[in-house]
Amino acid sequence: MTFWKKLTHLIPSVRRASERDMQEEVESLREMAGPGALGNLTLAVEDARSELTWISLERLGQDLRYAVRILVKNFSFTVLCVLTLALGIGATSTIVSWINGTLLNAIPGAQRTRDIVSLTRGDLSDSPTPPYSYPDLLDLKRQNTSFVGLLGYHNEPMGLTGNGRPVRVWGTYVTADYFHILAVVPAMGRVFSGDEDAAPGSGAVTVLNYAIWQSQFGGDPSIVGRTIQINRHPVTIIGVAPKEFQGAMPAVRSDLWLPVTMDPVITGNRFRLPDRGTSWLNVLGRLAPGVTRVTAQQEMNALVQRLVQQYPNDHRGSNEVVLDPMWRSPFGGNVYFAALLPVLLATAVLVLLLACANVANLFLVRTIGRRKEIAIRLAVGCTRGRLIRQFLAEAILIAVAGGMVASLLTCWTSGLLARFLPSSREVALGINITVDGFVVTATFIVALFSTMVFGIVPAIRATHVDPIATIKEEAGGIAGGVGRSRIAGALVVTQVALSLLLLVSAGLFVRSVENAQRLSPGFDPHNMMTAAFDLKPAGYSSSTGTALQKELLRKVAALPGVEAVTMSDWLPLGFSKRTTDVSVDGYVPQEHESMEIWIARVGPDYLRTLRNPMLAGRDIAASDVAGLQPVAIVNRAFAERYWKGADPIGKKIEVWGQWRTVVGIAETARYRRLDEPPEPFVFLPILQSYDSDVVLLVRSSVDRAALMPMVEQAVHELDPELPVFDVSNMDSQVRVSTFQRIAGSFIGSFGLISLLLASVGLYAVVAYTTRQRTHEIGIRMALGARPESIFNQVVSQGLRMTGVGLLIGLTLSVVLTRVLRGQLLGVTPVDLPTYAAVALLLVVIAAVACLVPAVRAARVEPVVALHHE
Amino acid sequence: MEPLHGLLEMLVLRTLERGALHGYGIAQALSDRSSETLTIEFGSLYPALKRLEMKGWIESKWETSDHNRRAKFYRLTAAGRKRLKQEHAEWASFAAAVRRIMGPEPEGA
Repeated sequence: MTFWKKLTHLIPSVRRASERDMQEEVESLREMAGPGALGNLTLAVEDARSELTWISLERLGQDLRYAVRILVKNFSFTVLCVLTLALGIGATSTIVSWINGTLLNAIPGAQRTRDIVSLTRGDLSDSPTPPYSYPDLLDLKRQNTSFVGLLGYHNEPMGLTGNGRPVRVWGTYVTADYFHILAVVPAMGRVFSGDEDAAPGSGAVTVLNYAIWQSQFGGDPSIVGRTIQINRHPVTIIGVAPKEFQGAMPAVRSDLWLPVTMDPVITGNRFRLPDRGTSWLNVLGRLAPGVTRVTAQQEMNALVQRLVQQYPNDHRGSNEVVLDPMWRSPFGGNVYFAALLPVLLATAVLVLLLACANVANLFLVRTIGRRKEIAIRLAVGCTRGRLIRQFLAEAILIAVAGGMVASLLTCWTSGLLARFLPSSREVALGINITVDGFVVTATFIVALFSTMVFGIVPAIRATHVDPIATIKEEAGGIAGGVGRSRIAGALVVTQVALSLLLLVSAGLFVRSVENAQRLSPGFDPHNMMTAAFDLKPAGYSSSTGTALQKELLRKVAALPGVEAVTMSDWLPLGFSKRTTDVSVDGYVPQEHESMEIWIARVGPDYLRTLRNPMLAGRDIAASDVAGLQPVAIVNRAFAERYWKGADPIGKKIEVWGQWRTVVGIAETARYRRLDEPPEPFVFLPILQSYDSDVVLLVRSSVDRAALMPMVEQAVHELDPELPVFDVSNMDSQVRVSTFQRIAGSFIGSFGLISLLLASVGLYAVVAYTTRQRTHEIGIRMALGARPESIFNQVVSQGLRMTGVGLLIGLTLSVVLTRVLRGQLLGVTPVDLPTYAAVALLLVVIAAVACLVPAVRAARVEPVVALHHE
Repeated sequence: MEPLHGLLEMLVLRTLERGALHGYGIAQALSDRSSETLTIEFGSLYPALKRLEMKGWIESKWETSDHNRRAKFYRLTAAGRKRLKQEHAEWASFAAAVRRIMGPEPEGA
C-alpha cells in the first residue's frame, strides 16, 4: 500500500498535486486557528512532504537534474571530461572485449566451454605438435572415465572444386562426436550423428562453415543434400554450422568439417589414420560432471603410460599429459593471447587511472569557481552530505557519458585485434570479436569504478569550505587554494609517474622490435617474393606434380630480373612447425629421447636462393629426383649434436622410412623465432620427396608488383586453372613475433595517450595555481620582482612536480617491468637508454606545458593584478 | 510533554475512532482529552497524518465544516480500525506491565 503510493509520488506531477493540496489544507487550518497558533506551517508541510515518497530517491532525482543543468552550462568542461574519461574507459573496454572474445569465449558457438579441456602430450612449448594418433585416441576414448567425451580433430588445406573456380579451403577432420561434445547446434541441416567414422573410408559427408556457405554457395537455402568435390572426391553436404562457430581451435577457422575416416580418401594418406606412431590429432574433452581437471589429468597420464608401455616405439620423447582449460589452450591463438592480453589490460587500466586523475584535477580546479556557491548553500543550511552527493551526481553523469562514448569507441576498436594478426598460408585465423552484453556491462562497471576514483576526493575537498570566511573574503581563494593545489599537485605527480611507466614499457617493446630487425635470421629475407600454390586440389599426382614444379622453376628462373628461384613446403619464422622422427646413423638415442627434428622439403638452389651460407658439401640440386640416390642436407646444429664434429658428408639419416645420404651442411639459421637457440634441421629435395602444397621463393631486385604478374603468367601457362595465393614478401614474413608487434603498438599508443593526458594535467595545474597567485605575483612585481624570476618560479614549480613524478615512475618501472622480461627481445627490463630517453621526453613535455602559464605570469601587470577579483 | 513517535500515531487513530475531524480538530481533541498534559505540536502532528494516510490507515476528503468553512477531514479506514485494535491491545499490555513494575508511588523524598 505504502509502497505503491510512494511510487506514484515519484512522478513529479502527482507529487506537485499533493503538495498543492497540503498547502491549501494548512492555509485553511491557519484561517481556522488564527495566525501563529499552529507554529511554523512551512516546516510542517516540508516535513509532511518527506512522508510522501522516498526522500533520498527524490533528492537523487533533484541532484541529477541539477547536475545536468550545471554540466550543460559548462559545456566545454563537460566535453573535455567526457572525452578524457572515454579514452581511459575505451582503452580498458577494448581489451575487455578482446579478452571476452578470445580467452573467455574460446570456442564461440559451443556450449558450456568451461567443462572443455585441451589435451597436450609431450614437451610444453608455444607451438606444440598435435599430440595423439588415431589408434591412441580410440583407446583413450574407450578407457577413460573422466570425460563425457573425447574428440579429435586435424586442420589442413583442401581444394573445394565442382563449384566454379577451385578454391583452397581449410578442412578439418573430426571424430564424429565432435559437434555433440562441443554441443554445437547447426544453423541448417544436421551435424555428424556419431557413426560417420565407423570405418576407414566411411562418411562422405561434410558440414560447412556459415561463412563459406555464404561466400561460395551464396547462402543457398537448399544446400543440404548437395554434393561437392573436396580434393576432387564427392562429398555430400549435410548441414551448416552456426554463424559464430569457427572450429574447436581457438582463433583458428575451419571452412568445413569431415569425418576423420575420410582422411585416406580425401588427403589420400593411407598410413596416417591406422598408424599409432603418427601424432596428428588435437584432442579436446568435456569433463564428466564432478570430475576436476586435476583428477582427469591423473587418469589420462595413467592411461597414456599404459600405451607407452604397450607400444614404446610409437611413443618416444616425453609423454606427460597436461590438461589445459580452453582459455590457455596451447593450440590456436589463446596461447598467445593468454600472455598478451593481461599485459595489455594492465596497461589500459593505467591509462584509465591517468584519465581519472586528469578529470579529478579538472573537477578540483572548477570547484574554485564554485566556492561562493558552495559557501552560500552551506550557510543556508544545506548539509555537506547533500553537497557531496550533488558533486557525485555530476561525476556519475560524466562517467556514464564517458561510458557511452567508450562503448561506441569499443565497437570499432574491438575489431582491431584481428587486423593485427598476420594472414598466413599456414593457418586461417578466425577471430570475430564483437561488443556483446558482457562488454557493455563491463564498460559501465569500469565507468562507475572511475567515478569513485575521480569523483569522491574532489567532492569531499570541495565541501571543505568555511562559509563565513569565503563569503567575506573578497581577495579570493588563497587560503582554500593551498590544500587543493596540494592534491592537484599529487595527482600530477601520479600522472607523470604512471605515464613514465607506460612509456618505458612501450619503449622496451620498441627496442625489442628494433632488435628483432637487427637480429639476423641467418639468411637474407630482403628482395624475396613468395607465392603459394597447391597442386593436390588441382588433381595432380606426385609425378605430374613434380613435373609441373620442375617446369615452373625453369620458367620463373628465366624471367627478367630474377636472380634465383626455389620452392619449399615450409617458410621460416611463420606459425607452423614441421617435425618428424629421424634416425641418425651412428647415434644411439637415450631411452625416451625425442628424435623429432625440424624438416622441410625444398627445391633446387634453396640455400643459395635464401643466401643461407653453406659450411660444406653442396646445395639441393635439380638432379636430386625420385629414383636417384636419396639425399639430405643438415644444418650445423644437427651435425654438432649427433656427430660431435665428425664430417657429416656421406653419413646417413633415416627419414620417412628411407635412408638418405647427407650431401651438405648449412649454417644454422632461425626457423621459428629470431631469438631461439640453435635448432637441428633437415632439408630434403622436394623433387625427390614430393609435396603438393608449396611456396615459390623468388629472389629478385624487381619490385613485387612488377614481378608478380609475370610469375602468375608463368604458372598459368602451365595450368590456367591453378590458383596462386598468399603473394607476399619474405621480409614481411620475417617480422618480429606477433606478440611484440601487438604489444609494442598498443602499449605505445597507450603511452602516447598517457603522455598527452599527463601534459594536459600538468598544464592545467600549473596554469591554475599561477592564476590563483595572480594577486600575489602582482604585489611582488609592484615591489620590484623581475618578470624573469616570476617566470623561473612558475617553471620550476612545474618541473619540481615532474621531478617527483619521474622518481616515483622510475622506481615503479624498475619494479614492474620485470613481468615483461619473457616478452622482450634482446633488451633487459632495466634498459638505461630507454629510461633516459623517456625521462628526457617527459621533462621536455613538462617544460612546454609550463611555458604558457609562466609567460602569462611574467606578463602580469601589477595594477591589473591588484585589482584582480 | 510530547508523546513518543509511534504513540502519536496511535493517539490520532483513537481520536478519529468516533468520527471524521480536520487537522486542527485533531490537535484540539488531543489537547482537550489529555487535559492539556500532552502538548502536540502541529509540526509533528501534520507529518504523522500524512504518514498514516500513506499507510492507508486513514483517508482524507475536502468537506464543509460546521462553521461553513472548507476543510480537509480525516477518517479511519477499515485497515486503520484494525490497526487501532491491535495497537490498543499492545499498549494495554505494555502499560499494565509498566504499572506492575512501577507500583505505587515511592515513599519518602
